[in-house]
This record gives sequence, C-alpha cells and structure tokens, in this order.
Amino acid sequence: MDVTDSRLAGRVAVVTGAGQGVGEGIARRLAQAGATVVVAARRAETGQPVVEAILEAGGAATCIETDVTSRDSVRHCVAATREQFGRLDVMVHNAFTSNGRHRLEDCDLDRHWTPMSRTAVWGSLYCAQEAHQALRAARPHGRLILITSPSGVEGSANMPLYSPVKAAQRALAKSLAREWGPEGITVNCVAPVAGSPALVRTFETNPALRAAMEARTPLRRVGDITTDVGSVALFLASDDAAYVTGQTVVCDGGSFLGL
Amino acid sequence: MVGVSGGVGVSGGVGESGAAAVRGGAGERGGAVVIRPRFDPVARGFDEISDDDFQAAFEAPLQDTIQAMQRAVAAGVTRIVVVVPTTGMSGGDHYAHTAMAAEAVRVLVKSAARQWGALGVTVNAVAVDPAMVIDDPTLAGPVSLAPAALDRADPQAVIDFLASEASGDVTGQTIVVDGGLWM
Repeated sequence: MDVTDSRLAGRVAVVTGAGQGVGEGIARRLAQAGATVVVAARRAETGQPVVEAILEAGGAATCIETDVTSRDSVRHCVAATREQFGRLDVMVHNAFTSNGRHRLEDCDLDRHWTPMSRTAVWGSLYCAQEAHQALRAARPHGRLILITSPSGVEGSANMPLYSPVKAAQRALAKSLAREWGPEGITVNCVAPVAGSPALVRTFETNPALRAAMEARTPLRRVGDITTDVGSVALFLASDDAAYVTGQTVVCDGGSFLGL
Repeated sequence: MVGVSGGVGVSGGVGESGAAAVRGGAGERGGAVVIRPRFDPVARGFDEISDDDFQAAFEAPLQDTIQAMQRAVAAGVTRIVVVVPTTGMSGGDHYAHTAMAAEAVRVLVKSAARQWGALGVTVNAVAVDPAMVIDDPTLAGPVSLAPAALDRADPQAVIDFLASEASGDVTGQTIVVDGGLWM
C-alpha cells in the first residue's frame, strides 16, 4: 500500500458495519489515506480489533458501538464523533443483516424482509439524516457513501428480497445527489463482490464455489475487501471524486456489466 | 384473458386487477394480475421524513407488493405486471422516499422473474411518467436532459401486452412508457 497517500488527511469518517468484511476493508483503507476512522460496529468485540489493527498500522481510529436500526444509536454515533473529533466529513453506511436464501412465494416478511430492510434501508435513512448537518458543515468534503450490490440492479434468484433493499439504496443516492448537491455534498454507492470473512469461510468448505466465482469473473479472482473495495470507497471519499455524485461504482472484477 | 383497469393508482392500498383464470382441468394455471403499488405522491424534504412517513412511503408499498405477488402465484397466475413511476430510476429531489420504494419494487420484479420463470410465471414492470404518480414532478428534477420525444404516454396497451399470452417470452423487464422521456 502507498504509505504516502494522504488524500483524507485531517478528515473524519464513520464506517458502519466496520467490525468485519467489506466495512472493515473500507475502514482500513480510509485510515491508510489519513482519515480518522470511527469503526461503528454493533458490538465492541468486533469493532475494537479493527481499531487496534488500524492503530498498529499507524492510523487513527476509535470504536463507537452503533446499531444502525436505531435512530437514537446512529444519532449518538454522529454526536460522539463530532464531539470527539470536531467534524464528520465522510459517512459510509455498510452494515447489513440477512437471513440467507429464500423463496419469494414462501418467504416470511418478519424473518426475511425486515432484517434486511431495517439494516440497509432504514439504516441508510438514519445515517443520512443524522449525518446531514455535519456533512453540510464539512463542505466541500461532505460525502455519503452507501454500500449496495450488483443484485440491486439485476435482481437475485437466491435472495429475491435482498435485491429491492439494495435497489432502494441506489435510488436514495440518486435522490440525495439531487437534493444535497447544492450544499456541496456528494452521494454515491459502491456495489462490491469481495472476499468477506463469511465468503472465505464458505470457500474453505466449498472450494468449487471459489473456482466457479473466479471462472465467471473476467479478472479471474475474488476481490479484496481493503485494496479493491476500500480503494473505490477512498476514491469516492476523496477530492478526486468531487464531481461525481448519484453514481454506483460496481467493484466486482467485471462480473456484472449491466450498468 | 383478464380485464386490466386503466390509470395508475396512487391512493388506498396496493391496487390489483385481474384474476387467475383456471382453464380446463384442476391445477391448470393462467391469467394475469396487474399490481399498482401505492407510492407516496407528496414531496418531502429528506430531513423532514419521519419514521412514520417512511413506514407509509417505503415499507407499506413494498410489503403490499410482495404479498400481492405471493397471492398471485398462489392463485395460479402466470402473468404479473407491476406499475411504477420512473422516479425510482432517475431519483427525485424531495422524493427520495418515493424513489426508494419505486426502485425497490422495480428490482423486486426482476428477482421474482428469476425465481418464478421455472414455474412458467412472467413478471414485468411498466415504468410510467412521474406526472402520473407524484404531485410535483418539476420539483423532483429532470428525468433526462432532453425533453420527451412524444407528447403522449398511455401505458395501457403495454400493460395489456405484458398481461397477455403473447408476452410469454418476456420476463424481468421494465418497459418505460413515458413518451420517450427516460432513455
């Protein structure tokens, strides 16, 4: 990693769901570029190790326990961030919970829909609304980044209710790009496919899945949560993307080419 | 063939028209349902959206649509058509809540098409001019840089086609019927 990268020096970023997976990768990458990162994890026992890894690498980070399904919890996270660091420039909403594969005709709304809607969609509502004032104050550096999925564009045969929640996030990015653009805030999405811990564990028990994913991916590998996905989030968070808003950047090695 | 009512419903619960048409022996499937989710037509600054507003503007149309689709398949319907505004595809200033629901419904259509194709069920969306759904499309912002290519946009014929047997090889699609505004 380029240790001279200081694109986010002096800026403060909150990353939800940063205790593992894609969120962790984004938190690490933003910290490598000089941001002070708030690891907003639901439980400190997952968030704190990420903080310690960032500190060991010479970065700056802290953990604030945050439940994105609770407006009060997100409000506390934003307030504590501003109180501790004096500002908030970048809000990344990544946290997400699902209950796995389901059939649409048999699915139960409480079991299959609500956990995804609450974390992805309502979490986006809360993160955007509660961070808005801080992002406006951070002009011209205010950034809202939502982590969505290629499935939010093309639908999903395995998790049909996953796609609409991810689609809603894309529509929110387009809408807020229009509404918050005059305030100098950019709003974008990243749609990654990367080797999260859950996926890596699956690979260990099902090597054929890795081979299949690599075979269908033009770049012939599964993405890295930090160097691949985190770097796209860093671009969108940085001044390099100051004139980019309302967009979805697909980061999946070229598997989905439908945009 | 089933009757399909005109217009785009914006009030009340989810609108459904059509019925499963049982032809011949027991278990035979057929017929169409047109689902018109109730999208919030009211402009709201994003910061002003309360939890109750969002429950009504996002959760209600999504959950109603999911359940309407489930009822349709359980009834043996083989054509499902869902009507949405293009606001979900373009985003909308002061209409984030409506855009989120509209786009979520539109992509739900794709997921349903992927799962239910093997059952012989097609699921498609018709995307209509935002002016047919929301109160103030000018506030929402331009759908495209160019003006609409046509001065008319009646989606009914396309809805009828997608609800008919003739559309059997079409599924997971969004046909935009807005006079050539969104391209």
